[in-house]
Amino acid sequence: MPELEQQLTSLARAIDWPPTPRLSVVLPIYGEVAGVAGRRGWRRWPYALAAGVLIVATLLAYTPTRDVIAGWLNLHTTIHREQHPPTPSPRPPGQLGSNLGLGTAVTLNEAQSQVSWKIAVPSALGRPDAVYLKQPPNGPSQGEVTLVYGQSPGIKVSGQTGVAALVTEARGQINENYFQKTLGPDSTLERVSVGGHAGYWIAGHPHDFVFTDANGNFQDDALRLATNTLIFDHDGTIVRIEGDMTKAQALQIAGSI
Amino acid sequence: MEGRPADDSVLIARAVRGDSAAYEEIVKRYQQVAFRTAYIITGSAADAEDAAQEGFVKAYRALDRFRPDADFRPWLLRIMANEARNRVRSSGRRHRLELRLSEGFRPGDAVPSPEAVAVATDERRRLLAMVNELGEDDRMVIASRYFLELSGEETAAALGIAEGTVKSRLSRALARLRARVEETANA
Repeated sequence: MPELEQQLTSLARAIDWPPTPRLSVVLPIYGEVAGVAGRRGWRRWPYALAAGVLIVATLLAYTPTRDVIAGWLNLHTTIHREQHPPTPSPRPPGQLGSNLGLGTAVTLNEAQSQVSWKIAVPSALGRPDAVYLKQPPNGPSQGEVTLVYGQSPGIKVSGQTGVAALVTEARGQINENYFQKTLGPDSTLERVSVGGHAGYWIAGHPHDFVFTDANGNFQDDALRLATNTLIFDHDGTIVRIEGDMTKAQALQIAGSI
Repeated sequence: MEGRPADDSVLIARAVRGDSAAYEEIVKRYQQVAFRTAYIITGSAADAEDAAQEGFVKAYRALDRFRPDADFRPWLLRIMANEARNRVRSSGRRHRLELRLSEGFRPGDAVPSPEAVAVATDERRRLLAMVNELGEDDRMVIASRYFLELSGEETAAALGIAEGTVKSRLSRALARLRARVEETANA
C-alpha cells in the first residue's frame, strides 16, 4: 500500500469521533404508523408508545372486535408481520390492496383534491377498483397516489394480493444511477420512451425503487408486487405501473394515459 | 468489522418475525458505523444522532424487503445516508465536517518515546488538516474509505454513487491530497 494510504489508514485510529449515542429505537407497528418523534421528543415516547401498542395489540387479538377497532383507528394495514406466510387465495379479505401498505383508502376525487398534479388514469385499465393516498411523513413530500386494479384482461392476478396491476404516482425525479444500484441481480433494467418521456422497464423481481421527491428528499419505496415494472416521467410526475405483464402491455397502458 | 453475515441473517429473520430483541441486537451492532456515517454527511453530532435514530426505524419498516442473500451493512448504510442527506436538505444547513485528532495514542498502540509521540502527532494533525481542506467530495470519500473503513460497496451506498465512481473519485482525491502533502514538504 502506498505511503499516503498507509498514513490515512493509521490516522483512522486517531480520529476523535463524537461519542456514539446509545440509540433507543422505538419500533413502530409494521405498516402505516408515523415515524418516531423528533429529537427532543423521542426519549419520552418509548413508554407511551409501548403502552399504546400493547393496548391496541391486546384489543386486536380479539377477533370479534378486531375489524371494528381497526376501523376506528384506521389501522387496517398496521399489523402484518406473521409467524407463517399467508395462504394464497384469489382475493384476500378486506378492500383490494388494503394489505399492501399503500396509505389511506380514498375515492379518486378525494385523492385528486389532495394532490397538486392531475392524476393520470390509464384508459386501457379503466376506472380503478381502489385508490390509496399516502401523505408525508409516510409518503413523498407532495403525496403518493396508487390506483389498484383487481382484474384486467390479459394480466394475471396475484394470488397473494388479489391485485392485477398497480399504478403509482408521485411528484419527483428519477435518478437512474441511484435506483439502478438498488435493483437486485434478479432484475434487468432497460431504457424505454413513453410518449417522448424517459422511462425504464424493469423485468424480473425488483423490490425497491429509489427516487427523489419534489422537495429533493430521497424516497425508498417498495415495489409492492415485486414483478415487472414500468417507470416513467410524466411531466414531473413519476408513474409506476406494476403487474405480471409484458413490456408491450405495460407500454400500451402507459400510452393510454 | 462489525458482525458476521451469518449472525446478521439469523437476527434479521427473527426481527422480521417480530422479535424486537433481535432488532435491538442489530441496532447495537451497527449503531456506531450508522452514526459515524451520518456524521460525515451532516457534520453535526446532533443531526447524525437524529438521522441514525430515524434510519433504524425506517430500516425496520423495510426489513421484509431486504434480500437474505445480500450484505446487510451496505443496505443499512444506504438508508442511514439517505436519512442524513434528507436532514441536511430539510434543515437547509450543512455543517462543514471538521475531523479532529484525539489527544495521545489509542489503546493497542505501541508505547513510543515522548519525542516520537510529539512528531507522530504533529504529522497526523497536519495530514488531517490537509484532508479537512479538500473539497467535499474528496473529503467524504477519504473519510468513508479510510476513517470509517467502509468497503467500496458500503462507500457507494453511503455516498449515493456507483461503486465504480467510488474508485475514480478516491483516486482523484488521493492524487490531490498527495499533491498537497508534497507541496507542504517542499515548502
